[in-house]
Amino acid sequence: MNLSTFGQQFRKNIQTYIIIILLVLIWGIFAVVTKGGYLSAQNISNLFRQMTVTSLLAAGMVLVMVTGGIDLSVGKLAGFVSVVVAVFQHDIWYALIPDKPILAAALSVLIGLIVGTLFGIFQAYIISYLRVPAFIVTLGGQFILNGGILLVTQGKTIAANQPGFAEIAQGYLPPTAGWILGVIVVGILFFMMFRNRKTKVKYGFENKPLVQDLLKTAFFAVVIFLYVFIVNQYNGVQVPVLLLAVTVIIVSYVSTNTKFGRYAYAIGGNREAARLSGININKQIFLIFVLMGLLSGLAGVVLASYVGYGTIAAGQGYELDAIASCVLGGTSTLGGSGTIFGAIVGSLIMASLNTGLQMLNVAPAWQYVLRGFVLVLAVIIDVQFKKSNN
Amino acid sequence: MDADIILEFQNVTKAFPGIVALDDVSFKIRRGEIHGICGENGAGKSTLMKILSGVYPHGTYEGKVLYNGEELKLEGSAIHQAAQKGIAIVYQELTLVPVMTVGENIFLGREPTVRGSITWDHVYAEARKILNKYKMDVHPQDQVKNLGMGKMQMTEIAKALSEDAKVLILDEPTSALSEAEVDQLMSIIRTLKEHGVTCIYITHKLEEFFKIADTVTVLRDGKVVTTQDTKDLTSEKLVKYMVGREMKERFPQGDRKPGEKIFEVNDLHAEDPDKGKEVIKGVSFDLRKGEILGIAGLMGSGRTELVMTIFGEYAKVTSGSIKLNGKEITIKNGHEAMEYGISLVPEDRKRHGLVLIQSILKNISLPNLDKFSSFMRVNQDEELAQSTKFAKSLSIKAPNLFVPAESLSGGNQQKVVIAKWLMSGPKILIMDDPTRGIDVGAKFEIYKLMNKLAEEGISIIMISSDLQEVLGMSDRVMVMCKGSSNGMLDIKEATQERIMTLATGLA
Repeated sequence: MNLSTFGQQFRKNIQTYIIIILLVLIWGIFAVVTKGGYLSAQNISNLFRQMTVTSLLAAGMVLVMVTGGIDLSVGKLAGFVSVVVAVFQHDIWYALIPDKPILAAALSVLIGLIVGTLFGIFQAYIISYLRVPAFIVTLGGQFILNGGILLVTQGKTIAANQPGFAEIAQGYLPPTAGWILGVIVVGILFFMMFRNRKTKVKYGFENKPLVQDLLKTAFFAVVIFLYVFIVNQYNGVQVPVLLLAVTVIIVSYVSTNTKFGRYAYAIGGNREAARLSGININKQIFLIFVLMGLLSGLAGVVLASYVGYGTIAAGQGYELDAIASCVLGGTSTLGGSGTIFGAIVGSLIMASLNTGLQMLNVAPAWQYVLRGFVLVLAVIIDVQFKKSNN
Repeated sequence: MDADIILEFQNVTKAFPGIVALDDVSFKIRRGEIHGICGENGAGKSTLMKILSGVYPHGTYEGKVLYNGEELKLEGSAIHQAAQKGIAIVYQELTLVPVMTVGENIFLGREPTVRGSITWDHVYAEARKILNKYKMDVHPQDQVKNLGMGKMQMTEIAKALSEDAKVLILDEPTSALSEAEVDQLMSIIRTLKEHGVTCIYITHKLEEFFKIADTVTVLRDGKVVTTQDTKDLTSEKLVKYMVGREMKERFPQGDRKPGEKIFEVNDLHAEDPDKGKEVIKGVSFDLRKGEILGIAGLMGSGRTELVMTIFGEYAKVTSGSIKLNGKEITIKNGHEAMEYGISLVPEDRKRHGLVLIQSILKNISLPNLDKFSSFMRVNQDEELAQSTKFAKSLSIKAPNLFVPAESLSGGNQQKVVIAKWLMSGPKILIMDDPTRGIDVGAKFEIYKLMNKLAEEGISIIMISSDLQEVLGMSDRVMVMCKGSSNGMLDIKEATQERIMTLATGLA
């Protein structure tokens, strides 16, 4: 690869590079200030575990924002799902199937996903077919869910820390299993790389130099092994992070490699052109918000398992964290562009700031102030870079 | 220094990565003249104007621009500086705020204040002064969104002039105007000239240069080909300068042999679903295989509404029938239309045809993803292979298919829109003003393409505001007037006069 194509590549992916650099910078600063404590296996492990709930919401939010919409209800929906799940775990399964923790956990997950999806369908219908702006529908949804949480909990805290259920957000793979998984994933990466090159040849397209593809894949392999190595020094690969990884891969694939995803970007880029291209806009928007509901349901289940109980404050403000993650990751608030990967890195940045500032015992008030500044600063840098590139 | 020269370009060169937009451009503009700038898309007209208006500030280009004999150095807030120095520009896309009044728009950002507060009576009085001075028939207190395109254009010009402009740049001012509105605009420009304003006039409509310009400069591939007085020019000469070769014919000869009747519309009535107003009031026509059917009519005659309704994306059909191959069909949306083999190249390619921020590839494949998809997955290799084939056959000029559609010239953008609809394999291709705002060379290519498609058996319905185009390309012409069809002419009996008589409802 010569220098000019490298420059082009760099410019094309500038947004991704900027936030990764920002992430490394934040980690570096915290590592220095905490004298290395920040990069301990325990802290890294907790950091990734902590980001799962917001990341699940952000993954769905990217698609919502790409179509030019917004969803303000996701935080409270995750919260509502978490208290519903807690009630089922604590009261209903305990009464019906007290000696089957795995079945109880599975049923709880199922109910969480169903509740999330149903509420998603309810909002999606009003937004797409009754044509009420998403901002208003989901703002109303937020109020409704807030009331719902109070009704379900009766203002009390409900435990959801039964052994089987707790594994979802607090479980770890044994170290050996972690390594085996790592090796399998790396194997798949290389397999896909070679298969990709083969189809390129079949279609008569030019392949990038083999060395370049090999280096790129090797880089990801090193990152994966390094991650497994670090978290194995603490408790092992975290179950919730695994859950997040699988979800992100699926949603990311859907966003770039399916008609559904491609239509979402087209709708956000130019709604009229998409409509005249024979795309059923209402149906697509409907499906996007249903997917958002499903992911909120999943986030709610993880949330209940993570904190171990359902409370009236569950999910408070998570929608804003999710939106901030998307924006940090380069999703346009005007619709049409944004990536799942970017949003996850954005979410990781938010989580990194949280844990770092907590480690330093910074007062919560100042944590808010700093997070606000970083968000706006990141977007300023991004805007400036784009300007100088044009 | 010649005092008579208000603007002079000296060896101006502006390069972008991969392309030289302006290559050693030198020419002079006399004070008080109307100076036409002419050239194909991508010839460098817009770049030149962007240098004048400060979009590309001093230092981002090589060479010199002299303004009143002194070098023009627009720096910092360059666009604002240009305006202060008396260089104003009216863009093709208007920049008015629709919900504000004419007066508010004229003084937007520079509202005259008395002790820090705005006195609206004063604003409107000032606005009226400007409008009267240049004989513009617009009321300062009207809301812009209620005005026709012609009056919006006047407001835009008044806005530019309110800063005491010495040089006014008009970039394709007539592309959206009706003929009567164009005449009005021309007389306003002449009034401006009487008041000593120098006008730089850019247009694709060559006849306008002969109506209004004193001098014309022709650009081609970023270079000045010639600057000549209009009286020494003819439109043949102009075209030759622009494309660099002789264009004997504007319309390529096709070898079309229309076959059997495949599509039929009978006494179609339709109403606007939002306003409940009838917009299509009785349209009947038929279409044969491999035929180009022209639809002519004035602005507001319901041409676009008709084809959008047929495509299932606009008005609700209240009575009448649409038959495809003798079978009556109802089309509820664009998706269904495509399944019947009907495709639509919309009138406004930027608003309705393209997702500008997306790549050429994604634009071409957007309506055709079903072709490359198995269950859920889009086969992106197949997508690229197919799209490349179509892009090549239409000779879309671009570095590769991954550049965004917004980076292309108008002609190439239109080709992308056509490519995306050709890939859907239509039997009937509706083209709504397919050559609007694109240059002569690109027009010719699109005409050739239309001939080729018709020869292959695709039936084309072409709407056009350009009567010569209608006459040059169609096998038959349907004329519309006030929402209904007012006559079908065979091309042999069609003349401009007959079409206009039918279009204006005189016959």
